[in-house]
Amino acid sequence: MNAAWFDERLILLLGSLVALAGIIAVNMTAATINYPVIIAVSGLIFSWFVAQAIIRRKGHLGDPLLLPIAIMLVSIGLVMLFRLKPTLLLYQALWVFVGICAFSVSAFFFRNIDELAEYKYLCGICGVLLLLSAILFGVDIGGNKNWVIIGPVRFQPSEFAKLFIVVFLAAYLNERSRLLTLVNRKFGPLALPPIRFIAPLLVVWGLTMMMFILQRDLGSALLFFGIALLMTYMASGKLHYVVMGACLFLLGALICYSLYSHVQVRVDIWLNPWSDPNGKAYQIVQSLFALGSGGILGSGLTYGFPNLIPEVHTDFIFSAIAEELGLAGAAAVLILYILMIYRAFRAALLAERNFTSLVAAGLAAATALQIFIIIGGVTKFLPLTGITLPFISYGGSSMVANFIVLGILFAISEKRPYDERQ
Amino acid sequence: MKGNDIIQHIRQVAYFLVLLLVVLLVHISYIQIIESGSYAAHPLNRRSTEYAKSIQRGTIYDRNAKVVANSEKTSNGYQRVYPYGAKLAHIVGYDNEKLGKAGVENTFNGYLAGINTPERGLGAVSRLFVSTHAYDLVLTIDSQLQEVGYRALGNNRGAVVALDPRTGEILAMVSKPSFDPNQIESIWEELSRSEESPLLNRATNGLYPPGSIIKPMFAEAALTENIANTKRIFNCTGVLKIGPDYTLTESNHQVHGEVNLEQALIVSCNTTFGSLALELGRNRVEKTFGRYGFNKKTGEELQETSSRLPEFSRLGDGDLAQLGIGQGSLLVTPLRMAMLASTLANKGILMQPFIVSRITNENGNVVKNYVPVEWLKVTDAQTATLISKMMVSVVEQGTGTAAYITGAKVAGKTGTAENPHGKSHAWFIGFAPADNPRVAVAVIVENGGAGGQVAAPIARRIFEQALR
Repeated sequence: MNAAWFDERLILLLGSLVALAGIIAVNMTAATINYPVIIAVSGLIFSWFVAQAIIRRKGHLGDPLLLPIAIMLVSIGLVMLFRLKPTLLLYQALWVFVGICAFSVSAFFFRNIDELAEYKYLCGICGVLLLLSAILFGVDIGGNKNWVIIGPVRFQPSEFAKLFIVVFLAAYLNERSRLLTLVNRKFGPLALPPIRFIAPLLVVWGLTMMMFILQRDLGSALLFFGIALLMTYMASGKLHYVVMGACLFLLGALICYSLYSHVQVRVDIWLNPWSDPNGKAYQIVQSLFALGSGGILGSGLTYGFPNLIPEVHTDFIFSAIAEELGLAGAAAVLILYILMIYRAFRAALLAERNFTSLVAAGLAAATALQIFIIIGGVTKFLPLTGITLPFISYGGSSMVANFIVLGILFAISEKRPYDERQ
Repeated sequence: MKGNDIIQHIRQVAYFLVLLLVVLLVHISYIQIIESGSYAAHPLNRRSTEYAKSIQRGTIYDRNAKVVANSEKTSNGYQRVYPYGAKLAHIVGYDNEKLGKAGVENTFNGYLAGINTPERGLGAVSRLFVSTHAYDLVLTIDSQLQEVGYRALGNNRGAVVALDPRTGEILAMVSKPSFDPNQIESIWEELSRSEESPLLNRATNGLYPPGSIIKPMFAEAALTENIANTKRIFNCTGVLKIGPDYTLTESNHQVHGEVNLEQALIVSCNTTFGSLALELGRNRVEKTFGRYGFNKKTGEELQETSSRLPEFSRLGDGDLAQLGIGQGSLLVTPLRMAMLASTLANKGILMQPFIVSRITNENGNVVKNYVPVEWLKVTDAQTATLISKMMVSVVEQGTGTAAYITGAKVAGKTGTAENPHGKSHAWFIGFAPADNPRVAVAVIVENGGAGGQVAAPIARRIFEQALR
């Protein structure tokens, strides 16, 4: 038995205690005990211990910090959701369970992720189709037009598209990493790469602009374009690609700003929410009130008023945490994310092949960007956008997709050079 | 094989992204630490209202432990009840979900709603100390004295302010017309449309020319600045000519002849005080108003409207003389005039007026105590006593005889302030007992006529009740 696996269980236990203690605390303030919820959460706790045991029993050597960090975040999210929308908790518990299963499967399945590079165009097409489906058939649920409904199933394709796009870009960029370091055609001061190299980037740019305009989904547009830029930089190391890309995006954004009133509204709200605090800027103003009222230690679980914020259980769940658990809770969440990002990049740096490194780094960058965009949005650091907070927000697509991301990172983290292995 | 370049670039991106998240953490810390207070107290933040619903709003008591506002539990939450209705409406104010808050309900909302508690900021731990009842207020108001003042004003528009000159405690503060805070929501339309402005607290927010009640202040200034002593004789011919085209006259065309300062005050001689103001000059008059604190705010809790003082340096001689008899552009609140009386009563020391004496928790333990504060040292005891004696004569043999009571000496001064809104405002300021004052009052009856006939009797009833 490896000592690290013991520590892993210990941190899992810590996360479990957060979940259990939180659920019981919320039950107690309501003075009624919601047995189904307690049973469901106990079942979940059991399931993640089982998952950990199976993974280790089967000899997987993945990073022992990744799962416990995710479980800690999931626990905080479950408690917050139970406090905000108790009726949704059982669904969310189900999604977490599916997520853990998905994690366990992908932890093994993606051990041979290198083979995926062969199917890069399939991945790319899947990613683009998923994004297109959201763009073309997107339905507005809770202010976000990025839902697709097929019969009884509704999901957010962009959460899964993230995965495919990262794998595709990693493979594509890796293959051409030589090409780009070679001769560039010069156009004045700009050194342009061969058109073949930047073609997929232009496709992503086009897609993000469509998302921006048709879906009004600034968050996803920013996220996908950011992923493409950062991955290009990691593969090429050419800063001017990034600068060029950023200029393109800014240009697109400026054109959209001048052409579309909804973009103007978003930006104006961001620049000056106090001009219309009860109308268009209602959500962000309420979110700021929640943060401010929370202060350093928060109002205490269930003693705040986060329900004053519309959509608090999805996009704004971070504000609810900041209100009731205060800066202490908000910082804890953010530091957990930073730790997770750090471990993900560490896996990328220690991976044996360029492709796997790029996949891990791409997923890490995607997760970090997503966290930055949504938390930045609800705290008025960035214009408000509607994307989910990984592992915490309510929603099945997001939960399952993020657990798959975690599974891939977990699988890659195993591929360490021999001197790093214990 | 793996390129070293890629490793390096990945590392750079990792640093960059972690840096972004750290910047975000700093940003959130800034909001939750530095900006926390302003967001929490923001008027658009409904949290305090929501929080207040979960807790029984504090009770407000008068100085004798009589309930003047409390919350009663009804089927749909708490209902605020004001047992004294219109009598204390301007002091206590109201607390209404739609119309907001006024009076003490507004200025002390943090305590009454249970928001200003020392446990707040302890986070979840604060739940250990939580109670279902917010803090109670104990006012300095004597509701019996308030009722007497309310009745004495009758159907007139006006205000009565009674202070304890030794401490600055506001014992009564009546403003009429008033309104019933218990029905504020149903009568709001009517109240806000009424030309008589019943919502206005005339005692602290009504601005009036003081008229002759400002004269004791000028008498004091004349003594302090050595313009006059008690023996100096002024010759009143009934007319004071200032420059080629301005004359100050006595009311009713009286001629007072040869008078000293005391006699001038007793008969309220306009020419004497007009010429005293001229002799003092702009600078010393400005200094006098400064000494009495006219340019200083009485504090957040009273929300008093600032007095309107003339721009002294630009004052013409005629306007300066007018100022000596309390006319012209000078506008003051009744509270300020009660404070003027209080200063002379308290041997030249002006105590800061206050209306809440303490805040207690549900067990009656004092959470916050408001102690009397010496606000300004206006003049020396000797001068104050001299003026006080003159004011006793005003009540015993002058214009203020209607304020006379048996059993205690009353010091006072009447005023009949001309104004552009019709009949003169009737004023009276005074205090009693003159040798050891326990109460200082200011009474104004809007467009009431002569102060000695209309305002002085109201003050008398206040004195009788307060000294009982």
